[in-house]
Amino acid sequence: MVFSDKMRDAAYYHYSPSYKYSLGIELVEEKQAMKNHANFRYTYLLNRKNTQNSQRNLYFQSSLSAGGNDEYSYGFLGDWETRRYFIGFGAQELKSNLRDYEKQFVQIGFAPYLGDYGDLHSWLMIKSKHDSLTDKWNTYPTIKFFKGDYLLEFGVDENDEPDIHFMIRF
Amino acid sequence: MRYLLFSILIFPSLALAEKNIHGDHADHNAQHGHEGHVAMDYVGGTSSELDVPRFDEFVSDQKGNQIAVVSVSGMVCDFCARGIEKTFQKDAGFKKIDVDLDTGKVLIAYASSTEIINEEIEKKILSNGQTVTDIQILTAQ
Repeated sequence: MVFSDKMRDAAYYHYSPSYKYSLGIELVEEKQAMKNHANFRYTYLLNRKNTQNSQRNLYFQSSLSAGGNDEYSYGFLGDWETRRYFIGFGAQELKSNLRDYEKQFVQIGFAPYLGDYGDLHSWLMIKSKHDSLTDKWNTYPTIKFFKGDYLLEFGVDENDEPDIHFMIRF
Repeated sequence: MRYLLFSILIFPSLALAEKNIHGDHADHNAQHGHEGHVAMDYVGGTSSELDVPRFDEFVSDQKGNQIAVVSVSGMVCDFCARGIEKTFQKDAGFKKIDVDLDTGKVLIAYASSTEIINEEIEKKILSNGQTVTDIQILTAQ
């Protein structure tokens, strides 16, 4: 997965030995600090509810940086989705010798059409994110496309900064 | 700027939505014109849960092979369901697979000589994050 916003560019590779957890390494370029480092990430599925028409998930997520400054993070991610609607949220504490801060986001979306398996799928979404450094909520539209093993999510936030996710499933 | 970009991006999506709506009509008409006898014979009382024309098309080149009709819950996302296809493609005797997100059905064709173990299918689906609610093994004729 490739991720980019005003704070950082990151490429994340992860492996899931089971559906319960995944281990990954994230290569991060901090834009403001102008430094690169690697994060080791661990994600654990705390709860999942599958129904005929929906899936609900709650994850614990943590990371440990190899870049010094004793950087680490932990938090929760959750989502509920049907083929038509999506609701997601996340909250994260980021700690280091330099600074501690928190990040949160909420996201809602809907699919304007229901594609078949293998079609191009599209989602129109609204994302709102907050960090304790600026103590402001930043709300903006995003659009998500996926087809086959490729997923692209794209948005531009209130500061005209792009928010991009690109994911490939191997 | 973000709203301009969003507007540019949204048009292909809405165009696809319109295309999809028309596509639904075409599928609907196709269903009316299709007898679906094969699937009806195979699945008996559960045929109403299947997309019969889709099932017929799937088995059309599978004469003599076994078809696992797997009902799956939590299969709401194409991207998330990709792992199902990848997992079963590695099976011995695997012929082909179809994932129907609308009905929550996965159809898997196996060679007639393959021993199909339901628990293995359940494990594979679970390993991808979804839950099996029913499995029927049929023979394509």
